[in-house]
Amino acid sequence: MRGRVAILGAGGFVGARLLERAVLEGDHDVIPVARALRSVGRNAHLGVSYRLGDASRPESLARAIEGCDVVVDLTKGDAATILRTTQSVQAAASAVGARLVIHLSSAVVYGTVDVPDLPDDAPPLADHRSLYARQKSLAESFLRERMTDRRLAIVVLRPSLIWGPGSPYVFGTASDLLRGSAYLVGGGAGICNLMHVDNLVQSIRAVIARPNVASGFYHVSDDGITTWRDFYLAIASGIGVDASTIHTIPDGEYRAGIRDRLQDFQSSGAYRWLKDRVPLETREAIKRRLRRGPADGLTLVGGRAARPAVTRELWELQRTRYGLPTEHFRSTFGHQNPVTFESGMAGSLAWLRFIGAVRGDASATALASASG
Amino acid sequence: MEQRAAPEVPRIPIELAIIGCGAVVEGLYRRALERLEARGLARVVALVDPSAERTSALRRHFRSARAFATPREAFAAMGPSLAIITSPPALHAEHAIAAFAAGSNVLCEKPMAVHRDDAARMVAAARDARRILAVGMTRRMYPCLVEARGLVARSALGDDLRFVFREGHVFDWPVSTDAAFRRATAGGGVLVDLGSHVLDLIAALFGPPEVKRYADDGQTAGVEANALIDIATPLATGVVQLSWNQPLVGGLHVTGSAGELILEPARLDAIAYRPRDGTWETIPCKATWPRDLAPMGARATPRTHQDCIYYQLVQILRAIAHGEPVPVTGEQGLEIVSAIDACYQQATSLRIPWLTDAEQAAADARHWKVRRCAAA
Repeated sequence: MRGRVAILGAGGFVGARLLERAVLEGDHDVIPVARALRSVGRNAHLGVSYRLGDASRPESLARAIEGCDVVVDLTKGDAATILRTTQSVQAAASAVGARLVIHLSSAVVYGTVDVPDLPDDAPPLADHRSLYARQKSLAESFLRERMTDRRLAIVVLRPSLIWGPGSPYVFGTASDLLRGSAYLVGGGAGICNLMHVDNLVQSIRAVIARPNVASGFYHVSDDGITTWRDFYLAIASGIGVDASTIHTIPDGEYRAGIRDRLQDFQSSGAYRWLKDRVPLETREAIKRRLRRGPADGLTLVGGRAARPAVTRELWELQRTRYGLPTEHFRSTFGHQNPVTFESGMAGSLAWLRFIGAVRGDASATALASASG
Repeated sequence: MEQRAAPEVPRIPIELAIIGCGAVVEGLYRRALERLEARGLARVVALVDPSAERTSALRRHFRSARAFATPREAFAAMGPSLAIITSPPALHAEHAIAAFAAGSNVLCEKPMAVHRDDAARMVAAARDARRILAVGMTRRMYPCLVEARGLVARSALGDDLRFVFREGHVFDWPVSTDAAFRRATAGGGVLVDLGSHVLDLIAALFGPPEVKRYADDGQTAGVEANALIDIATPLATGVVQLSWNQPLVGGLHVTGSAGELILEPARLDAIAYRPRDGTWETIPCKATWPRDLAPMGARATPRTHQDCIYYQLVQILRAIAHGEPVPVTGEQGLEIVSAIDACYQQATSLRIPWLTDAEQAAADARHWKVRRCAAA
């Protein structure tokens, strides 16, 4: 890597892996930036120094990224603040004289990819249903305007489903399979636009390593075509779940359920008003309680087949008809993905065994393979 | 230093001092203490912290309390019957010993101490002062643990007991300093934090744990985010896996010749039990604890972790007022600190199965024990 690299969101899934790779390869120019000390816990084992800075406040962030040449924005945070944070990161990076901002967007800005060869610079949808997608679109539009400033290069990477060890998608799929609530829309023939976390990390490093990088938008993705059926069957087989327990959902008209209504509510102003007034400890307690449900050991014990809890988000993702073309990124940055579907799945299954998300009494096996 | 001795039979409400006013008090103890005050069982008289901002914030909830920068100042001015030690773990021994010298009883938040020697000094100081030393292991109040202990005591699981205990999630505790992430100040990471609870729970079920093998992923000056322990106890052998960055699934799974059980620490109100060759059943857990200080007073079932903090405090106040046993004694706490100490003594690098060979080799070379040996 060239110059000092600030990682915003180093406590998140992608940021933690980017940081870990850098540390294990002896790269001392990486500076993790966290908004709160609680985010440091995830990487406490690495023994690296952090800088504290609030990515949504330019003056706070500018202090944290002082002296950095590159800013990698992997912040997640509250969906409602994505645009504001993006603006803040751009302002702070400009203020400290950074040469490059790498912004992690998402293919969600296009909704369901229903055209082949979607250009990298195609404008995002503005009227997406989810607040997250709308804010991601607004952030892209903001950065598009700023790309005319030649002093600060802005590279927007647009992965779809980021997977691998530690991925919520892998964990969620395994949990659904173990509970018997997993489903495939239309038999799972839709395209699963995967991006392994190590391929994404390698993509980010390729951008950082390139001198005189020009601003632009880039689709990034794994190699090859993977269907949702491929993805589910590989995980089911690896964790000892009978594939016949996967429900099939007809590829017809979508009917909104209670989870969609909950998501719609979370996108509303009323929810944000309420959220601002509920004490942090109460919010944390509610979150912990909600999180507890799906992975509850007692519910896993019986192995009873559960009904599929279909959500609009997953239903739409599973109906994706095309992959995203990544030739532009590869040719610009000379990038090659180091991880194949097979090797990525092997690592993901090793992770699932490590955390105990496997059918039956596989605890001893998992622990034996984890011990040094 | 002029120090007042606490009365042998304290007045009710029992007077308390809080030593250390950080996230533990705000996040865990505050509401339970407010409940005790509202019921006239206890009164917070002293708030001790070098940060005036933190003591001021807590004084909004405990208006009759006085703020002090150091325990020395507090004990010189006040004679609380109970000092609740919630300062950084490296200071627990110093603060507890000062409290005993002033005649207070002590509830020490876990981990009891960073080093075994410190914990032993605390036990000795309590014995010399003839005061109570209790350790805050709130899970002892969990109804699910009471039920599981009953099953083990009734031999419902048979013999040849083996267990796997996995507990972990991505760290999200609102810490106010980075002391928990530095080996020099915290002594360790997830083992000290979650491991204190998990090892105590194992001890409550099966007796004192003896560490057979231990591996973790701590590198250089960092603390471990993942740990794996092979354990033997008088009644069972097994494995404990802990994490600060992985969503470990399973809780405690015990198997024996006559049956098996699963205890999920997030579920206080139930355990799963299956007799050999039988089917799983969910057993509701409704253990009760005293709600107040009346000798034959009302009892209730805790439903949340917060409830358990309240009932633990009540039990310690009852120990002071009536001589009843505390949930976890200093001696029991010392056993857990000793087990943690034994883990670190024999620490090796944990194999993380999804790392590449080169990454694992780099992690092994950066392991804190390797670095420490190299420095020595």
